[in-house]
Amino acid sequence: QMRGPLLAAAGRALHAMGGDSGPLASAIRSKLVAALQPTHLQVLDESWRHGGPPGAESHFSVVVVSERFAGLAPLQRHRLVHAALQTELAGPLHALAIVARTPQQWESDSHVPPRPPCLGGSKHDQRRD
Amino acid sequence: MSRVVWAAWRLGIATARGLAGRPLSQAATGASEGGGAEGGGGGSASREAVERLVRAHPVVVFMKGSPEQPLCGFSNAVVQILRLHGVEDYNAHDVLQDPDLRQGIKNYSNWPTIPQVYLNGEFVGGCDILLQMHQNGDLVEELKKLGIRSALLDAEKDQDKK
Repeated sequence: QMRGPLLAAAGRALHAMGGDSGPLASAIRSKLVAALQPTHLQVLDESWRHGGPPGAESHFSVVVVSERFAGLAPLQRHRLVHAALQTELAGPLHALAIVARTPQQWESDSHVPPRPPCLGGSKHDQRRD
Repeated sequence: MSRVVWAAWRLGIATARGLAGRPLSQAATGASEGGGAEGGGGGSASREAVERLVRAHPVVVFMKGSPEQPLCGFSNAVVQILRLHGVEDYNAHDVLQDPDLRQGIKNYSNWPTIPQVYLNGEFVGGCDILLQMHQNGDLVEELKKLGIRSALLDAEKDQDKK
């Protein structure tokens, strides 16, 4: 069972860029599933965009598609997501980008806006005076 | 830059924006008792202090860094969106300069992250929500309610003329 070096390198790169396999990613995933019963869910570790090492699990982006959002303004939808992740947000989760749509909305628009690039400002950075 | 010059520069910026130079969380709890910061860290700005800040201007942003030099991609996104609408006059608070304020606004809005945008004293959301409002036209409407004409309306007018 020989994996070509190219395939292995691609796998490493993919993991480094952030996936949903770390412990925090798994916790986020299971809490969102339990709270919102999403029809579509994407949980991405984006810590690598903010100066963290690969798999740092500090900055996440989630795409949550759930009927629970029907009739709710964006603010209320985001608050539902925060409520589900209260423990994590009080702990290691420093930043959370959210896309929250109903299944109907997702069907007509499954485009996710690109994430803003990092500009530093994490606690790992030196203060610029 | 020497520390004195830096402090004077910061005070100058603060004065230009009509704010006190020292961290506002301390200003608020100076006279009153209870809950809040005693001066260094480990506390959080009181509700009253935050309330004063969010009501001080129609557009108030709590961010990392400043509009001139955002220190976070999400904070920068807020600055850029406002800029697109021609909104350059607003109160921006750098939470990196004031940890008590940083905790205080999270408590006030019951929102765990920075940046935070307030329109007419009301919490509107973070960068994701502002982006959504920008894309679906809601931001133009909300600015109109505040008596602010979005620059994008004029941009459209110019296009129609061509």
